[in-house]
Amino acid sequence: MTATTDEATTRTTLPRRRWPTPRMLALVGVVVAIHVVAMRQTDFSLGALAQGWSGMADFVAEAIPPDLSWRGVLLPSIKAAAVTLHIGLLGTTLSVPFALALAALAARSTTSGLLAYQTARSVLSFLRSVPDVVFALVFVTAVGLGPFAGVLALVFHNTGVMGKLWAEAMEEADPGPREALRVHGASRAQVVSHAVVPTVLPQLIGLLLYRFDVNVRSSLVLGLVGAGGIGFLINQSIKLFRFDEMFTHILVVLVLVIAVDQLSGYIRRRIGS
Amino acid sequence: MSLRISALRKSFDGRVVLDGVDLDVQAGEFVAVLGANGSGKSTILRCVVGLESPDSGDILVNEVPARPGASQAAMVFQKIHLVGRRSALDNVCTGALGRLPLHRSLSPLLFPAALRAEAMRCLDRVGLADQADQPVRRLSGGQQQRVAIARALCRRAPVLLADEPVSALDPHAAEHVLTVLAGLAGDGLAVVAVLHQPELAREHAHRVVGLADGSIAVDAAPESVSDRDIESLYGPAGLPPVTVASA
Repeated sequence: MTATTDEATTRTTLPRRRWPTPRMLALVGVVVAIHVVAMRQTDFSLGALAQGWSGMADFVAEAIPPDLSWRGVLLPSIKAAAVTLHIGLLGTTLSVPFALALAALAARSTTSGLLAYQTARSVLSFLRSVPDVVFALVFVTAVGLGPFAGVLALVFHNTGVMGKLWAEAMEEADPGPREALRVHGASRAQVVSHAVVPTVLPQLIGLLLYRFDVNVRSSLVLGLVGAGGIGFLINQSIKLFRFDEMFTHILVVLVLVIAVDQLSGYIRRRIGS
Repeated sequence: MSLRISALRKSFDGRVVLDGVDLDVQAGEFVAVLGANGSGKSTILRCVVGLESPDSGDILVNEVPARPGASQAAMVFQKIHLVGRRSALDNVCTGALGRLPLHRSLSPLLFPAALRAEAMRCLDRVGLADQADQPVRRLSGGQQQRVAIARALCRRAPVLLADEPVSALDPHAAEHVLTVLAGLAGDGLAVVAVLHQPELAREHAHRVVGLADGSIAVDAAPESVSDRDIESLYGPAGLPPVTVASA
């Protein structure tokens, strides 16, 4: 018992401070150096921002008060916002089958072999690395200006992003149900549909809603390059120096984004419970 | 002979876990396998269903060599491994996936009516027909393990393996699960269950097999298994004293 008491006494001694090691200091130095280079390459200058604040003030002054005329601005804005919402919706849901198939092949736990795994990972990387705006420009040349080009652009880009996220969720799925079904003679496709997907369904739906949220905001940017929706109206207002109209459109976008965020959060909470 | 294991050897990273295990199990027989942690009990079962590849030896299930993914043995696990959000009936149906065509098997909505009826009979056999619609996560641990047994029954395999099926259950639920397993042996299945409770093995099994150092050290009828036999498997009873620091 004496030895035990001595041990307890030793343990209550205040531990020494742990100062940063030279290695940690060197690491912090490297991170700071990288940031200095990044600031130089991006012409980062708080001085320029301070000097030019009056330009921003003029811009804001022209935008306020927003033009809330119903027939001329607000109604077209709401209609265009609905188009933006629909581009985001279709861009998300139409990519589901492609993302699911590629995710199953790109997850180590469910893939059918090394070749399929590498191929699926490469396809997902390609789709993810091409920005949706670039896809939109490509599809505008094929199907013309309008929302359809935006939908196609989002389907392609979202397949890459969502497929990657879903593959990672599938890899983290509890291996137990998978093992049990394999023992009972299930094929790989059956294991995916009866053990993997139902086990991680809340995560898959959560990621789907997150991507819907992101895609609605992306479809706004796609409007700027001719894919329709409220982004197109914002672009028009800026070109015509109608900043009061632009501000109205931005307020409508704000309402849309908050509504989508609330809806996604509500569904996620319901699934979680 | 439903299950015949001959000269089974298996090692992991140079450590020999199974060193020439021979085990025959007849149809209608309930064999309980005892042994300390790491003695190779679970490894035997995992080799039979193809989750592990033996280094050497033969495994015959109904006179057919067991192959990975195509063994004629069904298995229930300690951690149960059901899909909690799906109903008991849907989980039981997945025991038959191996004999369903792909186009009737990718969703529970596509399962044939005959399969659902068979799954219902399996649930009835384990006393859970009234819980068929319940999501598995709402059932108790003992009920979940019985659903897992029903899923194994739906496999229509002549051999049923159970890897520590009652380790996570309270005594009442454990009793219930082992009664079900013994009843299935009575129906003609060959049942092999890895257990950690010698008293339950003696009570329910027809035969007790004990593993020590990768070999079978005990193989006898339950009434012939002495406390000394059990001690030879698990070591002398009791634990070293624990010192607790005084406040």
